[in-house]
Amino acid sequence: MLPVFRGLMWGVIGFLIGGGLTALIRGVLGLEPWVFGSVFLVGYLFGLAGWLLGVGVWDTWMREFLGLEPRPYQAEGWRRYFGFTTDHKVIGIQYGATFLGMFFLAGLLAMMMRIELMQPGRDIFNFAQYNRVMSLHGFLMVLVAVTAIPGMFGNYFVPLMIGAEDMAFPRMNALSFWIWPPAAILLLLSPFFGGWDSGWTGYPPLALTNDPGQMFYNLAFFTGGLSSVVGSINFLTTIITMRAPGMTWGRLPIFVWSIFMTSIMSLTATQFVGVAMLMTVLDRVANTAFFDPARGGYPLIYQHIFWFYSHPAVYVMMMPAWGIMLEVLAHFARKPLFAYKWAVAGFGGVTALSFAVWAHHMFTSGMPETLHVPFMATTESISVPTGLIFLSALGTLWQGKLRFKTPMLFALGGLFNFLIGGITGVFNSDLPADVHLHDTFWVVSHFHYTIVGGAIFGLFAGIYYWYPKMVGRMYSERLGRLHFWLMFIFFNLVFLPMAWLGLHGMNRRIGDYPPELGGVNAFVSISAFILGASFLIFLYNMVMAWARGPVAEANPWGARTLEWATSSPPPVHNFPAVPQVLSGPYDYGVPEAGVHAAVPVES
Amino acid sequence: MRRDVVLVGLLWVLATLVGEYVVSTLDIYPPKAALEAEHIDQAIRTLLMLAVPVFNFVVVVMLYSIWRFRARDEAEVGEPIYTHRTFTVGWLVVTSALAAVLFYNPGYVGWKFLKSNPTADLEIQVTAAQWHWHITYPDYGVSLKSRPIGFARIEENPVLALPAGKRVKFEVTSDDVIHSFWIPALRMKVDAVPGVVTTMYVTITETGSYEEDAVFRVQCAELCGTGHPRMTMPVVILEPEEFEDWIKQQQMQEAMGGSMEGMEKQGDGH
Repeated sequence: MLPVFRGLMWGVIGFLIGGGLTALIRGVLGLEPWVFGSVFLVGYLFGLAGWLLGVGVWDTWMREFLGLEPRPYQAEGWRRYFGFTTDHKVIGIQYGATFLGMFFLAGLLAMMMRIELMQPGRDIFNFAQYNRVMSLHGFLMVLVAVTAIPGMFGNYFVPLMIGAEDMAFPRMNALSFWIWPPAAILLLLSPFFGGWDSGWTGYPPLALTNDPGQMFYNLAFFTGGLSSVVGSINFLTTIITMRAPGMTWGRLPIFVWSIFMTSIMSLTATQFVGVAMLMTVLDRVANTAFFDPARGGYPLIYQHIFWFYSHPAVYVMMMPAWGIMLEVLAHFARKPLFAYKWAVAGFGGVTALSFAVWAHHMFTSGMPETLHVPFMATTESISVPTGLIFLSALGTLWQGKLRFKTPMLFALGGLFNFLIGGITGVFNSDLPADVHLHDTFWVVSHFHYTIVGGAIFGLFAGIYYWYPKMVGRMYSERLGRLHFWLMFIFFNLVFLPMAWLGLHGMNRRIGDYPPELGGVNAFVSISAFILGASFLIFLYNMVMAWARGPVAEANPWGARTLEWATSSPPPVHNFPAVPQVLSGPYDYGVPEAGVHAAVPVES
Repeated sequence: MRRDVVLVGLLWVLATLVGEYVVSTLDIYPPKAALEAEHIDQAIRTLLMLAVPVFNFVVVVMLYSIWRFRARDEAEVGEPIYTHRTFTVGWLVVTSALAAVLFYNPGYVGWKFLKSNPTADLEIQVTAAQWHWHITYPDYGVSLKSRPIGFARIEENPVLALPAGKRVKFEVTSDDVIHSFWIPALRMKVDAVPGVVTTMYVTITETGSYEEDAVFRVQCAELCGTGHPRMTMPVVILEPEEFEDWIKQQQMQEAMGGSMEGMEKQGDGH
């Protein structure tokens, strides 16, 4: 049996045991046995443990503990993608497939939302259904944006780029991936149990009084957060301890730096959102009253704790995408990355400041007025380290020899979109402007410009850049460019008008709006359908290339970094022997630099 | 190299002049009816004017590079420029100065203005609940309630009337979950938090009504559940005398009995 099915089976068994036990204990205590909240909560925790057990995450430790022979890992063939494995490249592809699947699903939900919003009035959904579709779309996309790049490319390429054989903790790496499917399953099942209607932010008291489907969100967020923490410990340890000889901090590819800084944020902030989720769940099932004002709780505390993670989280989404963009710009401009140290300092500055800006999500929340001005100051100062990323990008383009392949187009497009995302963000950080713009479509426009325009464009730059390495085949450049232009143009036609809509009084998270705004919304919807359709070209291109594309060379782009110094796709242990790093990763046009690294041919 | 710098500089100056002209004249703002709204629109306009040179610099350098620095054959490599001290330090100084400027104005100055005057001619109490607004004019003993069950079309709800030329204090709270009291024509919103009373001061300047533009409406701006999009009320801003008449009309209706909820729509002064 494939490990995923074994995992599912044990997950269900665990769920039944946990839920049954809870109901039994409740019955013995004279309470109503089958209440959704606590039965579901304990059932889920047991189910999670059962899933990990069945999938084989605990095999090594458990079998050793019981005195059994350890089972060998599946290392060959397609089956290894459906079970526990320690190969960071397989895990990267597992992450990629899972999160691209979630991305397209959430994209379909977005299409449904745009059908509803195409004209004023109720069309295909009632308000309750719209809120649920919107919540699921938002939350799935947040998970994709947080996880896709570090999960897929971080796992696949960080060890390769630093010349390591694998991650520092390969089994923990597998654990961090295999925690995800239960969260994904929860979210996919949630519509069948009524879903939840409090958005991806899940503010109480709404999240305490709405339908039980709310718990799917809280538990999925908690589970995903656990994976983030585990994964970031692994990245930090790997980057600190596993660099090949000669791979000094000053020679670290910028993408590796971006994953390093991202991991610092994930490792130190994610616990807070876990706590926020836990407190909500306890308020729902255990009669605590953290956020219930009727019983002495204070709902704004949730927002503080939630955003203390969730603002750094937007930089967790963005920073790896910056890393990819700068990486691609340097290789496709054939120039050293301009002001490398400044770019790293920019990452560091954003990381440090990201913890001190959270309350800008709460300018109209009624929080104490002593907080507003300091948070405006910290928020606006974060534009300075962010500006250093642009400094590096523009300096890299200047006097370069640019090659406009698909990854380069996505990097340039992402840079342009993020520029608009950054500028519209300044309006939200500005107190007077935000009093009007907060919670409107302006904000929807702003965060889609940063997260889709920046992070998702970065993700696609990465996909087109590394596809030949990961798959060993080359896609059609022509279709790649077509995808880029459709996605770039219609992305802008969807999200720029949304800023106007917000300014004109369209608030977010609504299934209906004033009739005056119908025309612009119809335009946005039609553009959105074309944007959605552009991904069909992408899928066709990727599938065709995978099935019968031309075999890719080891280094199709002529890039210097280490992942291109091994075959496409790389062998299980990446390099025949430990590479010796001799010069910087971007020393193009520097005659005395020589190669980036010497990779011994035979071990 | 020198030619590139000069050309980019010229293009940037040109694009910035055009951009500044466009953002300072372009009227993208919906109707407004409060002193605060003028300041908020001005803040948005100022930020746009500050954004133009930044946006243009990045775009001009990008487009110029795309046009000028193409690789002509596969072997070509770019200039090995690692960094440029003057440019990087200059960049840091300029971006920091820009952040400081926009923090001070429109940020700090605008916020001080919004918070500067805690006095009012009229007090209005707002209580939000899933999914309706309960508005009280305590000085006049008048109260309005939008339909208690959500999903009523906005036209079916009673009209919130405000006097032009007066400073109004809204005291906002909620009975259940978090809502947000927003009147787009005033550009002001504040959350309605259960167990907390939040306040919002607005100096009303112009008359206007929902029939003229949908920005004259109360809109819940914080996701509050199923009825959220229709948690609305039309707003009408009347001349002070008309407002007094409106109040008298409301008081008469209340005296006739509170059971005539469906009749409240008569309160529309137009």
